[in-house]
Amino acid sequence: MKLNCKTSLLNITILSIALVSLFSCGSDNKLPILGERDWVKKTVDGKEVVDTIYNTIPAFSFVNQQGDTVSEKIVEGKIYVTDFFFTTCPTICPVMKRQMIKVFQQFKGNPEVMILSHTIDPEHDTPQVLNKFAKDLGIEGTQWQFLTGPKDKIYKIGQESYMSTAKEDKSAEGGYIHSGAFILVDKEKHVRGMYDGTTEEGTQKLIADMRRLLDEYKK
Amino acid sequence: MIKASAFILATTLLASCQNAEELKSEQYFVEGYQLYTTNCSNCHQADGKGMSNLYPPLVGSPALSNKALISCVIKNGMKDTILVNGKVFKRPMPANPKLTEIEIAEIVSFVTMKWGTDSTYTKIETVQSALQDCKIY
Repeated sequence: MKLNCKTSLLNITILSIALVSLFSCGSDNKLPILGERDWVKKTVDGKEVVDTIYNTIPAFSFVNQQGDTVSEKIVEGKIYVTDFFFTTCPTICPVMKRQMIKVFQQFKGNPEVMILSHTIDPEHDTPQVLNKFAKDLGIEGTQWQFLTGPKDKIYKIGQESYMSTAKEDKSAEGGYIHSGAFILVDKEKHVRGMYDGTTEEGTQKLIADMRRLLDEYKK
Repeated sequence: MIKASAFILATTLLASCQNAEELKSEQYFVEGYQLYTTNCSNCHQADGKGMSNLYPPLVGSPALSNKALISCVIKNGMKDTILVNGKVFKRPMPANPKLTEIEIAEIVSFVTMKWGTDSTYTKIETVQSALQDCKIY
């Protein structure tokens, strides 16, 4: 029995090493690019090559907690974390916000990092409501943006680009269902990681990955 | 001899009676802790200290000595402004229509024993009579 245990432990160890080297090999230990891909054929120097088109966050236009209209330009040259919430949410949002504060504090003042929190209840969560919410949360400035806008646009970018569930559901507590995900986006607007924003493990993984992603740009 | 036996019997009964009460307090506390974790701690936090200026703390709240108020607010939610430890909180608290009377009694027991001055559990009857006569908070 003991021998069996040892053997299987050894096997697991070998397997893990193999897996780790497989992932680290040739990719410089970079974070993956997530989402659907498409391939196009292009002709470069008379040769036909296949180019991969990654899922990319499209242009957007929302209003922040200061009442300013903001577009994708605010995250130009920055990596950012995004999530979906609503201010009257009684379930996972308070937990997510508590965890996001930890992320915010780690990168506070870093000009390469931003946080975008989208409300999924824009009828209630006007810029004024978001402004009060941010202040009550203890957040000043605009490094952490609380965004509102047309409901369909918010739901569309959430579901199609950030791959996060966000929709109305009268049967859910608070009236909406949305995922508890924190989504990490790089400077090229590719999604590089999804994390469980309701847990400490997910949050710590995100913070570690943000450092890794920032390092990719240092070279 | 008879007197002595009677005395022993009486003290035994009294002791077991006390133990039963203590046991019940512990049961309510443990059940209440679990219910608190599921239903309340998202906002009021596991340590009862609330969250910045968004959600009020229970620790140090005068509401802990008002069981009628706690019972009704748990069941029906709260719309009014509340002042806790010198801070004003204005966000509404949602109602919890699904919680039963015994569950509310367990939560009240937990919060008043943990952060209030109570040393024993809150009886279901206390909650029942409070809920029959709820004001709008």
